[in-house]
Amino acid sequence: MTTALPMPAENAGRGGKIPLVPVLLLAPAVLLYLVFFVWPQLALLMLGFQDRGGAFTLDLYVRFLSDSYYLKLLWRTLVMGVATTMITILLGLPLAYLLARARSRWATLLLIITTFPLLVSAVVRSFGWMVLLYRNGFVSDLLQWLSLTDGPTQLMYTLPGTIIALAQVLLPIMVLSLYAVFRSIPPDLELAAMSLGARPTTALWLVTIKLAKGGIFSGSLLVFSMAISSFATPSLVGGPRAAVMATSIYDLTVTVLDWNFAAVQATVLLVAVLLLSLIYGRLLNGGGIKT
Amino acid sequence: MTFRLLSPLGLSLLILASLAMIYLLVPIAVVVVSPFGDTGFIAFPPQGLTLKWYAAALNDGRYLTGFLLSLRLASIVALISASLGMCAAYAITRYDFPGAKALEALFLSPLILPTLVMAVALTAYFTRSGLPTGTWRLVAAQSIICIPYVIRIVLPLLQRFDRSLEEAALSLGATPIRSFFLVLVPVIRPALIAGAAMAFITSFDEVVLALFLSVPGQTTLPVMIYSSVQLGFEPVVAAVAGLLVCLTGVVMVIMHFFGLRTRG
Repeated sequence: MTTALPMPAENAGRGGKIPLVPVLLLAPAVLLYLVFFVWPQLALLMLGFQDRGGAFTLDLYVRFLSDSYYLKLLWRTLVMGVATTMITILLGLPLAYLLARARSRWATLLLIITTFPLLVSAVVRSFGWMVLLYRNGFVSDLLQWLSLTDGPTQLMYTLPGTIIALAQVLLPIMVLSLYAVFRSIPPDLELAAMSLGARPTTALWLVTIKLAKGGIFSGSLLVFSMAISSFATPSLVGGPRAAVMATSIYDLTVTVLDWNFAAVQATVLLVAVLLLSLIYGRLLNGGGIKT
Repeated sequence: MTFRLLSPLGLSLLILASLAMIYLLVPIAVVVVSPFGDTGFIAFPPQGLTLKWYAAALNDGRYLTGFLLSLRLASIVALISASLGMCAAYAITRYDFPGAKALEALFLSPLILPTLVMAVALTAYFTRSGLPTGTWRLVAAQSIICIPYVIRIVLPLLQRFDRSLEEAALSLGATPIRSFFLVLVPVIRPALIAGAAMAFITSFDEVVLALFLSVPGQTTLPVMIYSSVQLGFEPVVAAVAGLLVCLTGVVMVIMHFFGLRTRG
């Protein structure tokens, strides 16, 4: 925490005049943001309420919410987001907990290895999954070897395949947010619970997981909003047969050139992500999570 | 650890964590290992052992061009984000003006906004505006998603910076610009380098903006990989991706040692 520093003397004396230096320092970044960020975003919002001629209309939103194809797209996007988040919680919790609690010097190395996939382009990681998920691929062989399936399984171009790949792409983000939360919970609390007679499992559940609940929730919001808006993995692994909103937005923008309808879907996605981040911000500020 | 790792609880956590680790690393290992296979198609586990695909990838001029373009764009984006981000962060922390908080929120907002939404907005905007085409569009767009990383890393450091150091330099006769470079820059340099590195990696790996705003004949390496793996598993593409993973690993190790040295 820092306290507000006193203003430099040369600026304080000038009264109503706008100081030149900060304006010059801020101008390039502000200009860049206004011209290539704020204005295009506002234009996009407007596009969704316009027909091809530019007149105001709500038809496109009505079309999105009444056409069963697009509702299915929305549903698939939500399923993908929820399933991806659940897998990252299931695998992220034990990994983050052990990394946060381990006292060995290997823990740092393991943490670095966990974050390494974040540096590898999502395209490259999705490609790895394409090789693994293909019919007669490694995952299909593994499922047969485990006697879970009888014949080859095609996971490429399916929603489950997309979810498996996307959860791997986003798992490091969940691990990093949970790691920070577990580091902030002193292990003494578990010891105290155990010295009062709780078994390790109970202590872990009643003390640590309960305390980490806010962190798990905020990590989930983050992963969920990234999952529903990510493009490379659903496009490569899911393809047109497991289309979600992100891939539909790409097709509308680049192939069909129907920007108005692309704007509608992008706005729906944007509103969902903004709402989630609002809740996320509330959680961070309203206590419950120590960062 | 408050409980023994060999207890049932410890073991089950350990097994789940190991599974998570394998899950994280296998698809990346696949990309590196499968181009060693001798077959004309990509398979995992690979059959046979050959270096021909890796050799072909290194000798393929198209991928080299894409790589060099990505490298050049990422360098420009890192430079722009680091300089604009630092100037903005400096102005926000140093000068008390109304709206500073709002500006900070504006600068950080691309962190929340999905890149996909930005890509759609910019595609429509650029096409209708009649601005000249070129890779500068991509540079501008990627700079906007990279500036937040720089600001987020540099801002806390600037807030903690002891301003009396700078005042001391000024009172000893240094010009404001000299004191800025001699006093402030050395303090924030590690953060600035970290921010620039984040910007570089983000720009280099970024595929959504690069795909939407791509100019014919000027395709970045991730877009090249994206387009060709959609059509089929050409072993050369896999080798290019494998090389990219190895390069990322090397860069990470260098960054790690560099980070240790700047801190110590």
